[in-house]
Amino acid sequence: MPKSNIDIVKTLESKLSSKSVQILPGQLGTATVKVAPGDHRDVFRALVDADEYTAISAISGLDLGANLGVYYHVRTSNAFLTIEVEVPKDNPKIQTVNDIAPSATFHELEVSDLIGVVVEGNPRSGHFVLPETWPEGVFPLRKNVNASEVKQNPPLPEEKSDEGKLVKIVIGPQHPALLEPEKFAVLVEGETVKAVQPRIGYVHRGVEKASESRSYLQDVYLVERICGICNSCHATGFVEAVERILKTEVPPRGKYLRTIILEVNRIHSHLLTLGHAGLEIGYETLFQYFWRDREPIMDLQEILTGNRVVSSSLTVGGVRRDLKDTDIPKIRSVLSDLRKRLPFYTELYQNEPSIRARMQNVGTLKREDALKLGVVGPVARGSGVDIDIRKDDPYEAYGEIPFNEIVRSSGDTWARMNVRMDEVEESIKIIEYALDHMPTGAYRVKVPRVVPAGEAIARVEAPRGELFYYVKANGSTMPERVKVRTPTFSNIPAFLKTAIGETIADVPPNFVSLDPCFSCTDR
Amino acid sequence: MNGEETVIDYLLLLFRVLVFPGFTFIVLFTMFCDWVERKFEARMQNRMGPTFTGPGGILQPIADFIKLLTKEEITPCETKRNIYRYAPILAFSVLVFALCFLPIDGSSVIPGVSFAGDLIFVMALVSIANFALFLAGWSSSNPYSAVGAARVLTQFLGYDIPLVLLALAPAFLAKSLTISTIVSSQWLPFAILAPWAFVLFVITMQAELEKDPFDVPHAESEVVGGHETEYSGGKLAFLKLARDVQIVFGAGLISVLFLGGANGPVPFGFLPQFWGTLWFVLKVLGIVLVSEYMTVLFARLRIDQVVRANWRIILPLSILSLILTVSLTYWIFPLV
Repeated sequence: MPKSNIDIVKTLESKLSSKSVQILPGQLGTATVKVAPGDHRDVFRALVDADEYTAISAISGLDLGANLGVYYHVRTSNAFLTIEVEVPKDNPKIQTVNDIAPSATFHELEVSDLIGVVVEGNPRSGHFVLPETWPEGVFPLRKNVNASEVKQNPPLPEEKSDEGKLVKIVIGPQHPALLEPEKFAVLVEGETVKAVQPRIGYVHRGVEKASESRSYLQDVYLVERICGICNSCHATGFVEAVERILKTEVPPRGKYLRTIILEVNRIHSHLLTLGHAGLEIGYETLFQYFWRDREPIMDLQEILTGNRVVSSSLTVGGVRRDLKDTDIPKIRSVLSDLRKRLPFYTELYQNEPSIRARMQNVGTLKREDALKLGVVGPVARGSGVDIDIRKDDPYEAYGEIPFNEIVRSSGDTWARMNVRMDEVEESIKIIEYALDHMPTGAYRVKVPRVVPAGEAIARVEAPRGELFYYVKANGSTMPERVKVRTPTFSNIPAFLKTAIGETIADVPPNFVSLDPCFSCTDR
Repeated sequence: MNGEETVIDYLLLLFRVLVFPGFTFIVLFTMFCDWVERKFEARMQNRMGPTFTGPGGILQPIADFIKLLTKEEITPCETKRNIYRYAPILAFSVLVFALCFLPIDGSSVIPGVSFAGDLIFVMALVSIANFALFLAGWSSSNPYSAVGAARVLTQFLGYDIPLVLLALAPAFLAKSLTISTIVSSQWLPFAILAPWAFVLFVITMQAELEKDPFDVPHAESEVVGGHETEYSGGKLAFLKLARDVQIVFGAGLISVLFLGGANGPVPFGFLPQFWGTLWFVLKVLGIVLVSEYMTVLFARLRIDQVVRANWRIILPLSILSLILTVSLTYWIFPLV
């Protein structure tokens, strides 16, 4: 469902005719644009002028031998472009684009931290993902670096900073409001937040680097462990990309089974967040109720995949387990039980006065800010930005299944949570449709262990938003490069923007409404 | 009066103060209330609640208390040491002392301490206890504690005024500021005669006790432990116990001022102490359950919403309620 009929490739061709730009349609999304360093800013300017939906999905840094490749993956309203820039390794300088597309800020920091591209003009500096003790000049994603041989510096004594009258409330790395370790230093004056200083990377495990030394099959299980909650989405992103390189077509039954697994994942993730939000606003009853009803969904996942949490059921070429016909009535009864409870929860989230008091007009992200910051998933849809990969760029069986895209316009915490609330209902519909129209036949195809040289991208609508995978194969049994950009990474800037000026008490509900997942963010 | 009787009197006094209805009873009853609260909350939330220690987990609060007592105590070096050390015990003992003025078994714990105006004295003790909690947080020299302590103070400064104003309604009806007189003049509970004051008093007490939806000082997702953050071991045990005693005291005050305290609906001639205590305990448990019900039902408000609710709604309403009570006394008095 195209949101606009801008032909972005033609627009680029006409606007950039004077530059030495090479446009290759059909590669890595809609098209790949190869430009010289410096000219990439013009490409971005042209894109931003042509389409308000332009946002950076990810920036992949690649070690290409003598050069470093900086691939900007850009989504527009109806297309997905990759802008390739190469900089020499001995002088890896590139100009920032965050003044044109503010969504670039975090991605640029990550690229400079992990592969050593020097981004000129980015307002932030210092380590972003790697620890402070990481030695200077060692960039883990370069091919000559062996992570196990890196000697870390001794920890530095903590600096005593002087913020004057501001009190520094540190949320994280260990804090009751966060389920995972990440640090947000909130500077407050009285109860009002004046600034937020983020520091991510506390659970950086180097999954991208590790996947380069494992076979494709092992990598499926490795990337699943990036996130416990949306593990199937990660597996889908990876196997989709690999299947595109292999040019393998998954049998229809495999696609439907994957869709069901993904939607069960989404229901379970949304119920978790909707409950967790209750905990953040001191509404323990809400939390207990949601998590009680989440249990049968976990059991459903076990029926489908054999595992309660990390499903490990997807594989390159299909799924590893077929669905038994005898299990279908069980799945249906669990879903109809959940559906019976949903009106009560919807009513609660819509009308309960204390929820409204705590969530309405909290963390309001305006539509233009949402577009500018490049937020994804329910955060974007809560701000009236209708992006959903399932609709925009259908994968698996989503192209054949009818469902509604939930969009709300108020942009506050309340809207984001209600988007999730309504999406649970849609997910139930999708699963029921998929069960009704389940094709027969094979559920997987055999694929070769050696993947031919090539590269591909895949996008998946995870419960938290667009999940991006870039896989580059070099003709061996192991990938050359795997780039993962998780939804929370894109959504954190929204929190940094909206938290300022609100009270400390607004920080937890605002933050949880992003459904943050830090083990995803750090990888 | 001969020597033997004096000794027996002293022993009786000691028994009253230390065992029943004094210290031991109050502490055990507090723990029982804690268990009731936890069990009730758990059942409301589809959980089991404590089950392990004792039948139905009834000994769990005692086990928790003992466990905390045995744990290591850490005093961070930047704390204001003396205040940090004595604030929990001050809060606890002030609250137990305040409870001694409530006629638990028909007369106050220490016989004869009841005096004209002891209602005001008891309210003052509550303020001191709250202030001790603030000191506990402030002396911790921890940003979370500082914010939590500031919230304790903000909240209690606001809600103390309506609480005292509303406590005046029963005093007006009984024409006395003496707690025992207020209790003895309630053959018909004031909750029935002045329901507006009763409802408001229960809500205000909820805020005073820092329970949901007013428990901003304890908002763990915002300020971790609030004023308790730096506390551990025995000091934490006493802070927690002080909070539980505070809840029992709040419920006790409501039952004394509005529900007739130890007065039963049917007077029994024999064993007045036993029946009085039973009625008092039942009423307190009732109030605790109502307050827990509110806790379960609502999300926590924000501090600015709590403050606004006080100055814009609760305070004007409590003034109105006072006016209403005073102007209706002409019709109500014949009933007292």
